[in-house]
Amino acid sequence: MQILEVNGLRKVYTTRFGGASVEALKNINFSVENGEYVAIMGESGSGKTTLLNILAGLDKPTSGSVLLDGKDLASIKESDRAAFRRDHLGFVFQEFNLLDTFSVEDNIYLPLVLAGVPQKELGARLEPIAARLGITELLKKYPYEISGGQKQRAAVARAIITSPRLLLADEPTGALDSKATDELLRVFSDISRSGQTILMVTHSVRAASRAGRVLFIKDGEVYHQLYRGNLTDDQLYQKITDALTVLQAGGEQA
Amino acid sequence: MTHKLYPRLAWQGITKNKRLYLPFLLTCVGMVMMTYILLSLASSPILKTFPGGDTMPMILSLGSFVMAAFAVLFLFYTNSFLIRRRNREFGLYNILGMGKGNLAKVLACETVIMALISIVGGEALGIALGKLFELLLVNIVDGTVQMDFTVSGPAAAMTTILYLAIFALLFLRSLVTVCRTNAAALLRSEACGEKPPKANWVFGLGGFLILGAAYYIAVTIKQPLTALAVFFIAVLMVIVATYLIFISGSVALCRALQKNKRYYYQKNHFISVSSMAYRMKRNGAGLASICILATMVLVMLSSTTCLYFGKEDALRTRYPTDLSVELRFAKDEGGMDEANIAIARGMIEDVIKQDGLDVQGQFDIRSAWFSGLLTGNTFTRAQESTLMDYERAVDLTILPLEDYTRMTGERLTLEPDEAYFCCPRMTYTQPDLRIGELTYQIKGQLPEFGGFGADSANITPTIYLIVPDFDAAVNALRTQNTRYPVVVSWQYSFDSGSPDEAQIAFLRDMMGTFADNREGLVYASYTVESIASNREDFVGTYGSLFFLAILLSIVFLAAAVLILYYKQISEGYEDQARFEIMQRVGMTKTDIRKSINSQLLLVFFLPLLFAGLHLGFAFPFIHKMLMLFNLTNLKLLIGTTVVTFAIYAVFYTLVYRITSNSYYSIVAGAKEEHT
Repeated sequence: MQILEVNGLRKVYTTRFGGASVEALKNINFSVENGEYVAIMGESGSGKTTLLNILAGLDKPTSGSVLLDGKDLASIKESDRAAFRRDHLGFVFQEFNLLDTFSVEDNIYLPLVLAGVPQKELGARLEPIAARLGITELLKKYPYEISGGQKQRAAVARAIITSPRLLLADEPTGALDSKATDELLRVFSDISRSGQTILMVTHSVRAASRAGRVLFIKDGEVYHQLYRGNLTDDQLYQKITDALTVLQAGGEQA
Repeated sequence: MTHKLYPRLAWQGITKNKRLYLPFLLTCVGMVMMTYILLSLASSPILKTFPGGDTMPMILSLGSFVMAAFAVLFLFYTNSFLIRRRNREFGLYNILGMGKGNLAKVLACETVIMALISIVGGEALGIALGKLFELLLVNIVDGTVQMDFTVSGPAAAMTTILYLAIFALLFLRSLVTVCRTNAAALLRSEACGEKPPKANWVFGLGGFLILGAAYYIAVTIKQPLTALAVFFIAVLMVIVATYLIFISGSVALCRALQKNKRYYYQKNHFISVSSMAYRMKRNGAGLASICILATMVLVMLSSTTCLYFGKEDALRTRYPTDLSVELRFAKDEGGMDEANIAIARGMIEDVIKQDGLDVQGQFDIRSAWFSGLLTGNTFTRAQESTLMDYERAVDLTILPLEDYTRMTGERLTLEPDEAYFCCPRMTYTQPDLRIGELTYQIKGQLPEFGGFGADSANITPTIYLIVPDFDAAVNALRTQNTRYPVVVSWQYSFDSGSPDEAQIAFLRDMMGTFADNREGLVYASYTVESIASNREDFVGTYGSLFFLAILLSIVFLAAAVLILYYKQISEGYEDQARFEIMQRVGMTKTDIRKSINSQLLLVFFLPLLFAGLHLGFAFPFIHKMLMLFNLTNLKLLIGTTVVTFAIYAVFYTLVYRITSNSYYSIVAGAKEEHT
């Protein structure tokens, strides 16, 4: 079953006084199946973040459509968008985006509280997730007291506590050292195995090599895609590297 | 590096941070201006030509002293804000290769530029606007206007020296701050998270307790003298308590709310409560300062406005009749006999005739005055100074019934052991009053009556006892042996329709007559009082107090505005990132705005609320203090207090509107950068 369907997505940025315009996304088409773990790769400036913002409903496409569970994002009223995001999507950002005014626990509760979940249920929902992510000990701490990897795991907990249809991750390993990166990627693989659909935007080959499918974006278009099939992480890593080399070479020839 | 680089960097630093520096410079200019105006007015020769010109320079000099002290404190406070923001930039310079010495030079240039703008601008404005304030002062004290344009050299020099010194101090402080921090930490400083505010229960609770105690003291004060004695203690307590409550108490309250899980984990409370704790931690001191400044302005304005507009009242309380002559007689030399008094009356009437003075409703009255203590229903004459026992200290004035009747025109009757009681400044519930061997049944309590103006200026309350047998009553107390005298006196008072000059002439002539005393009049001392000759003094004193209050209020208000503005700006910078995250996690823009709005509103109303509360509890206090200025008009005081508070609230709201725009523009500006 398809969870996400992206058709002919185009996004043009125009400067405020109608001067030069930049085409961030040209023509993006792809779909994501339920339970899939998809990585989107591309260089800086390839339009990855723009794509993610549109998928999240934070930005509007110039043309084209995004369907989540068959529902067109454009049809959702501006005022309902935040609630829609809260109920259907989970986010993990490069910069963690934890609120420093909250303890780790309260940061994770945030979407639930916003959704009006009664206080009695909160603890029961957090417990298994915290245990799985290994952050049970950190719950009472504040963001400034914990490491980057720990912050990112807390952010993941916040993203999945609402049981979202789709987990969106924007360069989740971008601000982590290699040890923390490995740990986090294990977390992602783990929640993917439990059936969570994940869409990760990254330019780290290592991060992408854990995914089930890798899409390559270049100049605002899906340029290529790779399926894991029966490959191991290392074999996929090699294939991604090769594809990137071709991609780069192709880019230089063009 | 060429020597021109430093001034250029300094200038760029100022212009690039316009949002921070412009208000600071404006405040500096304003403060220099006010200091110059106060100093120049205090030393102005024009004052000498004013009525009551002797007290004014003193009051104004006092004002400029307050002004200078405030300038030091306040500029230090706001400058710390600037330096915190600039630290990052200096960190960058440092990494790019500028040593601490170079940074010091940039700082020095910056300070010189700011000092130059402030002092030159402020004094220029002060000279330009000085005349305006002079006109205001002249208007307030009913003086005559002189339209010459003057520049006061000494005032300008003093202002310059004062502010050069302040800027030098600011420079040293900034230097220490910049040199102490290391560059890498500087650059990181804004990225690293902030520790959650800790609730300091002891301080928070202490704040409420101290405030409660101060309020209790304020409302339970009975005597003006007590008010004076504990005034500074109570004010100090209120200031300390305000800071404690705003800094610790508010955080503690938020923490307590967070502990209540059912309350805390609700959409409407979750974000507000937790961010309020941070907001109060960062802004508690600023808000407390705003609150204190607001209270000062309110107390100052309401009391001086009351004094100024009630000056005729005060004057009338102090001088119930236009003119009065009082003779006092020594203990054993007599003089209270009708023969002696007739001589005095004759002398006075001669002078009235000689001056052709118009006389309306004249009366004369005998009285005896004792200082002592009132314990229950017994009055005993003081053995020693009553000053230390001010809750019991009273003055007792005994009046003969016939004289009282003559004075007020009221037909009252008394049996031999009965008396009428009158004491406007205290409540007396006993059925009788004992003086010496005598006990008088209180037949009734009389309302306040004019006649003894000098008593109203006393800090102890005076009891008037109207008795049927004057000599017996006086003798009952006279026999109590103390070293404090009995003052037995006779006074002759009247109103007059004659112009002020004629009344003042009478005062002079009367005093001349007594000095000659050719007619063998027996007396120990005499007093001649004229309301006309004292009116100018009252107007001068109260007027310049009023003027000073207006000037200082402007300055304090400007300070409150600036703190409010900086608070909004710093919150704007801190909130922009949070605004962004919350949106992604699923809060709608309207939700966020609503939440922030309600927080800002609460933060904004808190100082006003507390200022109002302080003012309310200070009210009995102010009322008692004003009694020392002969002003007992409660209605006028309530009126001026309410009006002052209303005007202040409107003004404050206006400023809030304007400054919150800058807040929103920062938050919104950040959003555009991100997309």
